[in-house]
Order: sequence, then structure tokens, then C-alpha cells
Amino acid sequence: MKYATIIFALLLAAPLVAKEELVTLPSRDSVQLTIYNSEDLTLVREVRTLSFRQGNNRLQFSWANTLIDPTSVEFMPVGAEAAKELELLDTSFPAQGHEMLIWTVACTKAAAYKVEISYFTSGISWSAEYHGVVAPDERSMELTAFVTVHNNSGEDYEDAQVRLVVGTINLVEKIIDLATPPQPGGGGARRPGPPLPPSAARRAAGPQDDADAEENEDGMRRPKEIEKVGLSEYYIYTVEGRETVPNRWSKRLKSFTVAGVPLKTVYRYEPAKFGWEFTKVLEFKNDEDHKLGKEPLPNGIVRLYKDAGGGRLSWMGALASKYIPKKDEVKVNVGADPECTMKLKRTRTQKKDLTFNQRWLQGWTQVDTYELELRNFRDREVEVEVHQAFGGDFDFSGEGWERHDAQTHKWKLTLKAAETRKASYSVTTRMGTNARK
Amino acid sequence: MRWLIPALMIALAAPAFAKEELVTLPTRNTVQLTIYNSVDLTLVRETRNLTFKKGNNRLQFSWANTLIDPTSVEFRALTNPDKIEVLDTSYPAQSNQMLIWTISAEEAVSANVEISYFTSGISWSAEYHGVLAADEGSMTLTAYVTVHNRSGEEYEDASVRLVVGTINIVEEIARLAGGASQGQREEAYRGMRDAAKSGDSKKDIVKEGLSEYYIYTVEGKETIPDKWSKRLESFVQPGVPVRTVYTLDPMKYSGLTRLLTFKNDEAHKLGKEPLPAGIVRLYKQHAGNRLGYVGAVATEYIAKKDEVKVNAGADLEVSFKHTRRSLKKENLVFQWSGNRQYLAGWDTVETFHIELKNFRSRNSEFELNLVFNGDFTFTSEIASTKVDYRTQRFTQTVNANGKLEITYVVRTRNGSNAKK
Amino acid sequence: MKTKLLLTLAATAAFTSFIGVATEQPAHARIKLATLPDKEAVVVRFDHPNVVIVEEERTLTLQKGVNNVDFSWAGTNIDKGSIIFRPVDEKSTTVVLSTSYPPGEAALTWQINATEARSEKFRLSYLMANIQRETDYRAVVSADEKTCTFRHYFKIRNWSGGQFDEADFITRDGKTFEKGLANGEAKRVLVNRWDNVKLVKEYNYDPQRQSEGKILTDYVLKNAKDHGLGAIPLEYGKVRIYQQDSAGTTAFTGEDWGRFTPIGDDMRLNIGIAQDIKVEFKKMVNDIENRRGNVYDTNEVDEYEIKNFKDGEAEVIFTLRVDGEWEMQNSSSGYTSFERIDNETIKFKVKVPGKGEPVKLKFHYKRLNNW
Repeated sequence: MKYATIIFALLLAAPLVAKEELVTLPSRDSVQLTIYNSEDLTLVREVRTLSFRQGNNRLQFSWANTLIDPTSVEFMPVGAEAAKELELLDTSFPAQGHEMLIWTVACTKAAAYKVEISYFTSGISWSAEYHGVVAPDERSMELTAFVTVHNNSGEDYEDAQVRLVVGTINLVEKIIDLATPPQPGGGGARRPGPPLPPSAARRAAGPQDDADAEENEDGMRRPKEIEKVGLSEYYIYTVEGRETVPNRWSKRLKSFTVAGVPLKTVYRYEPAKFGWEFTKVLEFKNDEDHKLGKEPLPNGIVRLYKDAGGGRLSWMGALASKYIPKKDEVKVNVGADPECTMKLKRTRTQKKDLTFNQRWLQGWTQVDTYELELRNFRDREVEVEVHQAFGGDFDFSGEGWERHDAQTHKWKLTLKAAETRKASYSVTTRMGTNARK
Repeated sequence: MRWLIPALMIALAAPAFAKEELVTLPTRNTVQLTIYNSVDLTLVRETRNLTFKKGNNRLQFSWANTLIDPTSVEFRALTNPDKIEVLDTSYPAQSNQMLIWTISAEEAVSANVEISYFTSGISWSAEYHGVLAADEGSMTLTAYVTVHNRSGEEYEDASVRLVVGTINIVEEIARLAGGASQGQREEAYRGMRDAAKSGDSKKDIVKEGLSEYYIYTVEGKETIPDKWSKRLESFVQPGVPVRTVYTLDPMKYSGLTRLLTFKNDEAHKLGKEPLPAGIVRLYKQHAGNRLGYVGAVATEYIAKKDEVKVNAGADLEVSFKHTRRSLKKENLVFQWSGNRQYLAGWDTVETFHIELKNFRSRNSEFELNLVFNGDFTFTSEIASTKVDYRTQRFTQTVNANGKLEITYVVRTRNGSNAKK
Repeated sequence: MKTKLLLTLAATAAFTSFIGVATEQPAHARIKLATLPDKEAVVVRFDHPNVVIVEEERTLTLQKGVNNVDFSWAGTNIDKGSIIFRPVDEKSTTVVLSTSYPPGEAALTWQINATEARSEKFRLSYLMANIQRETDYRAVVSADEKTCTFRHYFKIRNWSGGQFDEADFITRDGKTFEKGLANGEAKRVLVNRWDNVKLVKEYNYDPQRQSEGKILTDYVLKNAKDHGLGAIPLEYGKVRIYQQDSAGTTAFTGEDWGRFTPIGDDMRLNIGIAQDIKVEFKKMVNDIENRRGNVYDTNEVDEYEIKNFKDGEAEVIFTLRVDGEWEMQNSSSGYTSFERIDNETIKFKVKVPGKGEPVKLKFHYKRLNNW
């Protein structure tokens, strides 16, 4: 039950009849979907076996009600023999339809050959998701990664090999715009037909329930493996076996589960990265020391739960994470924690070196002294990092502080269990004509 | 169908009747059109044979649905001028598209008369086709003139003369012809009639210099129905030498522009007449005498010996890169104001770098005009010429698939340092 | 139209004389041509970047003397002023005397003088609007990203109203292919294929091209013989890039507009973001010094921390810009080479080891004589 139709036909010009005969061909031998998540783009590659007769063969390919980019449709013979005997002479886009093309293929030896048809479609996407279950002591977690494929392309893909590309490719024109050119009369982009009634969709999904798992020799089922391979600046995740993804369905597959990923907790006040709040940050690295590092982690939602004991979970938070390369560090901001706090107050302010121009003040120097108080109520040692930034022509002085950049100084320290630390610093700012900057 | 018509008839005032009798006259013997293309004015001179009775003859001339200027209509006897005389010209109240001459004849006489008038709605334009040889070193230039008739009148078997005026004269005529004063307009008409008197010989399209006009006379007779246009070949000249000069001239062209240049002189097998303003379409000759298209441009009037530069647009096969390599400020001069000092004058020293790349398989000529402002000094190792007080020009040839680099320095004196 | 009688007479006379050419002098032939039938040797040439010239040949049977030939092109987009009509034989004595354009019609009439009665071949050339052309490319990059197979396609779409049953289409670089092309139809043809084309992969940091400070992955092809290209100037067009993958198929790795590339020049194609190289920018010093009245210099240190999470070393090209008069200071460090491209622009090449080990590019400069 498909309402979107990709039709592939061989046009046979019967010698005695002027009219063309249209032969619809058997369905594809194999389909491979390469799905990109940075753009609304999927490369579909299908292989079919076709009988060619000697001379020129005309093949018609049409794709009504789909989101295929007509400029991307390619015809390639598969294998050395097919490449030798077949030659694509031209691709014609007839006047009467946007959703059809005709290939003229010259064949030197009549036989059945394998050919590959590839094209871009929009409407299929994938996304990554992570579940982290943090141990009660917050020193480790179990991390599970998932990938979900969403099919809104208008076409059902049955028994397809699914590949997911991790990375940001450059695309100069949107596939959806190429697939749906402006209609005469100014109509908007054409969308695939109405959604299927659920029952019909489920029927279309057919063998879907069985495809989730592979049967091994014992008759036991195990989740499918997802193989990850680097390609240029990207990674390709290949889902083991075949998948059927009916139109309008999404399908989630497990990418990996790793238990015992070591976690570090750092309390940070870094407005440039984490906002104007003293927050708790859980940190780990995507490397071997953290039992990870086999592949980069695509951007996606990270949901953190805390192991509440007895197999129960409590909610910690969720955030969108960016792409994490191998060996890079991950900092998950879980928000303010009342068990570790920071207070900042100005203890003194003073103006000096006042200069006047005809009795009007034109320059002065301001000295501000601050006191920072950090309190750890927890029963364990924690790491803390505090950043303070200033503008204008200023000098900073404070023990234990280091310069971070032209505006910012930072203080890194470790607080013992139940420890309170105070630190003061002063900022001298030259104003008006006193300023040298 | 044709609308018509300057019609000429003689009103015979029969003595016994008060009513006028109308007599239709034979069609014109000859018609001559002298078309001034820049002022939308054409002088029409037509001759007819008329028979006059002794005494007063009333001759009616009407021009419904045409664009004739009533004030310009003149009557002149070409034969027997001493025997007939125009006594008066009346414009009947009931029609503004008609006049009646009262003509007295000493005796019954037949005369060849000329009626002349100015009409608008007839124009002409020039067009050129240049077919460049494969090496782009020469071209075959074909000139055309096209006459457009929107006057409301059909001219049959007319001799056609086209007036090419120098810009000043044409503007003057346009001003006078369009001016409010009737006296000025008549003055302009007189000047144009005088100009049109010569150049009556008939050859090809004959071009004759006449003070500041040139008159092109089209050989033979042409029939140009109303609302039609007709294109005629003016000349074909093969082997006109052409130079391609890649030109940078910010006052005239945007970016580096491919100019095809030739001169309207004997050395370029031209120079016999000025070339009227018109569209130049350039083609390039390919194998088998086939044509490729190069471009089209509108050119202005090209006087004899004048240089023609046809803008063939940008060429992607040469590249021009202009960068400022360094900027320095020197000779800073300060002035005190109260207890503070302020910058009053300084020099900027800028080093510029030009890289010309020629990706073509033949040498290319370049002309780079650089324009600067203010009190500046220009220095460069490669020779340049001063075009005017603010323009400096490099003229260079870059070899096939070659590259040329030019570095020059501009010192500009600013503020109180400036002497200009 | 005051005097109706006269009007009628005059109109009749005119009408008669108009037709008279054909009736009174039967020696004049009248031949009618239209855009559609009887075209011979049609050539459609694309050597101008925007305009298409069409040439076709017509055989005319001429009588001795003046012949009238009507040509009409209703419904097609022919540029009237561009029409050239001439005998194919350059030495022919047959001449076109004049061209007349009737009002409000896509038609004209040539007056042709033949010195003898004969059949002669003429070539008709004109510019035709609404024949669109488009170039696109497909590069299949080898697994090691050192070479590619570069395919060059030419696509034409015919909206001109005309129909080409069989025509030679000639691309700008002189490639000819023979096709039929109906009105409204488009055709895409492979015109060139080059194997083993060398390519250079570059990592670029350029805030003007990528405002978020991400690293761009570029492939640079040189249109030269020793790089596997160099046969023709490469037209502007979209390049779709695929790479051979471990599954024996290819994966699409990005696309970019390839600008017009003359022989000897480079074509730079951005394929996407190099996500495994990260750059963090910090301004470490931003001071004012050397005040003279209202004039001052600045002293600035920009620091770029680069981490390359790939396994192997990578070279990153930094293109940085500073406005006005400025000088780089000797304490700049972390680069293998630099080039001041112009007054405002400097390029650094930085070697970055793999596995996330950070390196720093320190760019120390003074901006002079500001006010």
C-alpha cells in the first residue's frame, strides 16, 4: 500500500509500431539509505537488474508525490561488464512533467545488467539521544546512546540498509526546494499526500517488528550492532542488517551502552559558558579512560537520571549537547546545587587621584575590594572554578588568582568536605582622563 | 488600410455658383524624405504638376491623421515661377488639418510645384554588425540604417536621405524645434531646409559632408508603409583591424572591461564618413563561417578619425587583482588647543599591488587608469603616464598564459600637511 | 478624415500599389519561411556566458532579379535585431537588399537580388532567449582524499518556444553533441570525464567565511594538465562531491558552487565543517600605549587554542584580519609560516598534532596611529 510512487520503466520502441510501449520493471534488488542529520538530505541508492536490448534503450524514471531532487538522480551501471556494455547518452526531462525523466542508454550487447539509481530525497532524518544513569555517589554513570530515524519522505523504504552520517556537510541549495520548485500560479511547496490511516501504515510496516533484533544460533535475539566508520571529516554509522521504515514512522535503535563511565563533579562560576549562576557541572571525556572514545558522539539530547537505589531512577536534568569528538571533554551543566554555594560582596570602594580641568572633575581612579565566600556542605571534597571579568583600564590583585584572558581572572581550588573558604581581591580602575586605554 | 493623407485639391470658384467645386489632383511626381534622426523631424518635399486657370486659384491642402506641422507647409513653383504667385494662405476655422492657398496666375498655365513640410513620426537608426576573425585581430564591419515610419502617412517610391548631425547642431535644432516661439521654430526649419538642399545625387547610401551635417542618401526609391520599418545596408568593410584592450577606467566602466578598439580612419579601412550612433552587435567567426556571439553595445556618434571602443564586457579569462599591501601614517603634526594637543596633519603612505593574469592563449594588452584624490604623490617602478591631475595610467602587455605584477606607492598629504 | 472621398481614393491607390509588386511583376518570387519546418544544419552555440546563438540553414529557390522572402517566428523568443541572413557561400553574388519589418508581427521580409535563377543555401543566425544552460559537476573522491574522478555535465532547458528536432549543441569549450530538444524539455549530458584528478584538502579557519569560528574543510583542484585537468576553462556550476566508502559504494560528502576557473587557476570547494578540530579564541592583551595628543597605538595579543581530535597531525590555515595601520610583533608564535596577503589580511599555517593535544597560535600586533 504505497501512495507515493517511484516508477521505473523501460520504453520499448516496437519496430512496427510508432507508439512507445511502457514496461514497468520489478522492484529494486537492494536499497541503501544514507541519512544526514545536519541537513534535510538522504542519499538513496537502489540497485535493479534490467534487461537491455542492443542499441538505444529508453528508461523512464518517475517519482510523483515524493520529495526527490530531480537534479540529483543518477544512473550508473554496476560492475565492470555493465560499465563496458552500457553507456548513458543523455538524461531528458520532458516538458510535460517535473516528476519524470528518461534516460537514453546505449547497449552494445543485449543482456540483463545490474544498474544503480541514486538520488537525493528530503524528508528522512535521524537524531541522536543519550540516557545517562548516574551512580548514587556521582562518580560514574551508565551511558546509553540511541539513534532514531524519522521518515516523512512520502516513500516507504522496505528492507533498506540504513547509514547515518555524523557531521556538517556543506549544502548550497536545500533539497526540499529542489524537489518542489515554485508552481506556476505561485503555489507553495508541494507536500506528500495525506497521512496513512494507522492500520494501513501498520500493514505497510509489515515485518518491522521482527527486524528490530537479529536471531543468533541459539535462537536468542540480540539488538543490532551499529558499525561506525570515519569518512573524510564525517562518521558513517551503519545499522546492521536491513530496516523497514514506512512513511511517517520513526524508529529508534540502540547505538551502545557503557556502564561505569567515570564522572568528575566541578562547581563552576563561568558566565561566558554556563550563565550567571554558580552551577554543578558533571564532566567526563570521550576517551578510553572513560570507557568511551571509540567514536564521536553526535549532537543530541542528553537525559540524566540518578540511580535512586532499588532499580529506581530520579530525574536530574536534560540538555542539548553539541557534537563531541573522540578524546574531547563533555561538561554537563546540571544547575545550581544548594549543597555548594558561592557568595560575592563588595567590602570597600574608594576614589583617588582626582584631576580637574577648571574646577570640573575629569579623571579619577576607583579601587573596589571584594570578598568571595565558597561553602561546601557536602561530605566530600569538590573542585571549584570561579571566573571574574572586568572592563576598562583596570589592575587586578588577589592571591591565588590567575589571568584567563585580557578581561578575565580565574581561581581554581579544591574544597574539603564541609569546608568554607574566603578569598578577597581588589580591582583598581582608572576612569576619565586617568584611563590609559 | 491606410489612413491617410496630405491631399491636395484645387477649389474651383465657378463664377456663377457660390459653391466650391473640388478637383482631385494627380498623385505626387516625386517625394523626398530628409530624416533627422535625433529630433524626430522629417522634411518632406513632394512635387506635383498642377494646372492653373488665369486669375485666382484656390488650392486646398489637408493632412488629417498625420503628424505634419501646419506652420511648416510651404508652396513653391518650380516651373513658371514668374507666372504664379501665392497671394495668401488661409486656415479655415472648421478644420485645423487643412489650409487653402490663394494663388494668382497671370495666364492659364501648367506648373511643376513643390510642397514641402515637416512631419514627425519618421525616424531612422543605425546598426552595426561586426564579425571578428578567429584571431580577434580584425573584423568585417557591416553598417545598416533602418527607417521607421510612424507618421501616419505611407510614402511610396520616396527618395530617402538621412541626416547625421554633430551633437551641437542637433541639440540646437531640437531646442529650436521644440521651443515655444514660432519664430525660433521657423528659423530652425529654415536652417534644416538649407541643409537639405544639397546632396541630391543618388548613389549607394551616399554620405556627404555639409557644414556640420552629413547626409546619407539612399540609392533609388524606397516604399515605406505606415508603421513599417525598413533596414538597408549602408556599407560592408572587411578586414578592419581591431585591438583588444583590457581596460580599467573607474570613471567609465565597472571593473576590468574588455574593449575592442578601432579607429574610423583610412588605416582601419574606414574614415569615409562619420558613423552615426547605434547598436553594435559583435560576433566571432567560427569554423565553417559560423558565428558565435560576443556582445552588443550602444555606441555614440563617431566622427571621422575618432576612436571607437566597443565594450565587450568582462572576460573571465583574464584576471585583475588589486590589493593594498601596506598602510602607514607618517609626518604626524600636532597642534595645541588649550592644554591638550590634537593631530592637525599627517601623510598616509599606501603600497598597492596589482596582479594581472592572462589565462588566454594569446598576448593581452591592458590599460589601467587609477584615480586618486587629494594632494598625492605617485611612484612606481613600472612606467606610467599622467592622464590628468588625478589619473595615472599603466599600459602593459601580458604574454599568453602569463602574469604581470605592478607595485606602486601613493603618499597622500592630509589635514595641514596638504598643499592643495 | 475630413474628405471621405479623397480618403477612399488614396487608400485604394495605396492598396493597389502594395499588392502590385507581386501581381504586376510576376518575375518576383515570394518565399515564406517560418521557424518550424525545413531547418537544416541547426547549430546552437553557448559560447557567450548568457546568450544563445542559433544558426540554421535554408535552401531557397530564387528567380533572377528581386525575390521577397518572408520570415516569421511567432511564438518563439528570437531577438529581431540580431537576425543575420546571408548566403552560405561567401563568394555568392546573391545579396540581401533590404529588410522590412511589418508592424506588430514577429516577422520580416527580405528583398534578395539573385543574378540568376537558382537554388541557394542561406544561413540564418539569431539570438534566442529562454534557452537555459547549466553546468554541474560530480566529483568522486578516493578513500585517501588525494585524487578524484571529475565529471562535467551540461544541462539545457528549452523554454524558447522553438523546437529542435536535431541540432548540434556546442558548449563554450567547443564540445559538440547532437540532440533533439522539444519546447519545454531539458537534457543533461555528460560532456567530460577526467580520472585521477589531484586534489588538496585544506582546513581553514576564517571568521569571514565561518562566523562561529568553526573549521571549514576545503578541496582545492587546480585546472592544470599536471593535475589531471587543464583541458578547458571550467564553467561556474554546482559540484557535488562523493567519497568512496568502506562499503564499496560512495557517500555524499558535500557540495559547493565552483566558480568559473580558467586554465591555470584553482577551484576551491567547501565540503563542510571539520568537526574534529576545535578552535577557542581568547584576547589576552588589549592595551593602549604611546599616547600623543589624541593619537595612540594599541598593543594586542590574540590567542587561538587549537585541538585536533583526529588521530594524525593536521595543518590549519588561519586567515585573520586587522583594519588600519598595524604591525605584527616578533613575540607572535605557534605557526610554521605566515603571509601578509594584504594590508588587512594575514595568513598563518599551524601544525596541530592529533589526539586532542592543544597548541596555541599567539598573534601579537600593534595598531598604530589611531584617533
